[in-house]
Amino acid sequence: MTAAAGVGPPPTPGASRRARPPLVAVVGYTLRTALPGRRWVGVLLPCAAAVLFGLLVRGLEGDPADEFARVAALALFPLVLPVTCLVVGDAVLGAEVRSGAFSFTWLSPVPTWQIALGRWAGGTILASGSMAVACALAAAVAGAGESAGAAATGGAFGAAAYVAVFVAIGCIARRAAVWSLAFVFLVERLLGAALSGIAQLSPSWEARAAFVDFADAPADLVREGIPHGTAALVRLVVITAVALAVAAVRLRHLTLAGSSD
Amino acid sequence: MTTPTPPASLPPPPPPPPALDPAFVAAPTIAVDEVSVWFGQKVALSELSCSFGAGVTGLLGPNGAGKTTLMRAITGLLPVNQGHVHVAGADPRADRSVHRRLALVPEDEAVPRGLTPRQLCHYVADLHRVTDRGIVDWALQTVEMVPAADRRMDGFSKGMRQRAKVAAALVKNPLVLVLDEPLNGADPVQRLHLISLFKRLGDEGRTVVVSSHVLHEVESMAERVIVIVRGRLAAAGGHHAIRDAMDDVPRQVLVRASELRRLAAALVGLDAVGALSVTDDGLVVSTLRARDLAVALPRTARDLGIRLTEVRPLDDSLESLFRELVR
Repeated sequence: MTAAAGVGPPPTPGASRRARPPLVAVVGYTLRTALPGRRWVGVLLPCAAAVLFGLLVRGLEGDPADEFARVAALALFPLVLPVTCLVVGDAVLGAEVRSGAFSFTWLSPVPTWQIALGRWAGGTILASGSMAVACALAAAVAGAGESAGAAATGGAFGAAAYVAVFVAIGCIARRAAVWSLAFVFLVERLLGAALSGIAQLSPSWEARAAFVDFADAPADLVREGIPHGTAALVRLVVITAVALAVAAVRLRHLTLAGSSD
Repeated sequence: MTTPTPPASLPPPPPPPPALDPAFVAAPTIAVDEVSVWFGQKVALSELSCSFGAGVTGLLGPNGAGKTTLMRAITGLLPVNQGHVHVAGADPRADRSVHRRLALVPEDEAVPRGLTPRQLCHYVADLHRVTDRGIVDWALQTVEMVPAADRRMDGFSKGMRQRAKVAAALVKNPLVLVLDEPLNGADPVQRLHLISLFKRLGDEGRTVVVSSHVLHEVESMAERVIVIVRGRLAAAGGHHAIRDAMDDVPRQVLVRASELRRLAAALVGLDAVGALSVTDDGLVVSTLRARDLAVALPRTARDLGIRLTEVRPLDDSLESLFRELVR
């Protein structure tokens, strides 16, 4: 496409700047816009709940590390992790698609895979950072400092996978938050609890499996039929990659209808 | 040897090219071909064909007519169910490089949360690999947004948000600029400023498509108008031309003269006059043949020695045209 002669803003000689790579621009934009004002509450509340769960462990009898592992397996990974990531994951894409502000990004020559990757990276920095700190803090508060690293690792990788899944859902469904909730509570909690095949595709179950293995948690917390430890982390990376690929493809075919017609 | 004989007469000139359908332009930047879009049972656009070229084109229609749908189909935000849209020869849904010089100012009030106009412009500049440092300042200055350039847009009025979005669109230095109700919420001074800006952009050779409900503003900025009603093309062309083409639509003319009743009595017998009524304001003449009336009225007045003080169409505005088309 070429412009007609004489068209354009007046040139400013010697005033050229180095444009940031689009991917970096998308990440920076996501960090700036994803969690304005009150949305931070949606992230900080579940993180505070994680620390409270850590405090609860102090009231339980038995080895703090084992008790923390139980609380983490039953509350941190199945509840706090998805709720935190749902807030972030919806904010980085779904909310913008609904509001219409996503058109500023979509109407650009930037390849959709870069948009999906940038949005995910921005969201992951927020979600993984929050979850890693919250999980480690919960372990420390529980008196199970030795489990802090395992909890943080599971939380961070789980958050990365969750954000990717929620970004993909944001590209597929208009009511992304509702579908994301359905994914967490119907697919992961309901079906995933009964079927190992579903649990293998679940960020929550895989994050928990990584934590249980790294923290040397009691044997009854180990779920058979899904990868553990490092293999669980690899599985989370695979889930992330697949979700991002789906998001990139779907972004190309995204429908952004206006509000009036 | 035979000498070639000159032809007895020059060959006849080639026939003039057929008049272009007013829905189309000779050198289109945007081509819309038999486009249909539907959402479930609701048909938003139905086999719509038209094209847009350099200059400002107004897009008119009542709420729900399909203007926003058409603009979103043009920019690729919406897929079309049937037909084709091409911008500079490329499909905006399939070829993302089209977006280098294609900009949309959406009607939605939404702006990226927590961002200032300057940050939004820089973001758009980065996405488009714009290296000219001055273009962001130029864009902000052009929409008179400099004083508020570093304030967060969350607290902006609708008019200020629209101007910020126009600035972000200008950063791309677009060849095609699609503006969905860009004057919404703007104060009168800003409206005039934006209208002047859009005209200037059109004069520069850009394709500017503007939708608006404030019809007299479209009249003042768009040389060409596309009217959409219920997802279909209702009319196209200059607004006077559209009006003239609507022969079956009665038009009303207000006549003020020195002797109204005598003039009315004489006009009743004319073929060009459909109906007339004498009001406090003057004589209102309804006609289906405005051109004939324009000739007959002054002649009749002259023959009777009546002085015409005012002859004014009552409904020659886009508002009335719009009402007629919707009816």
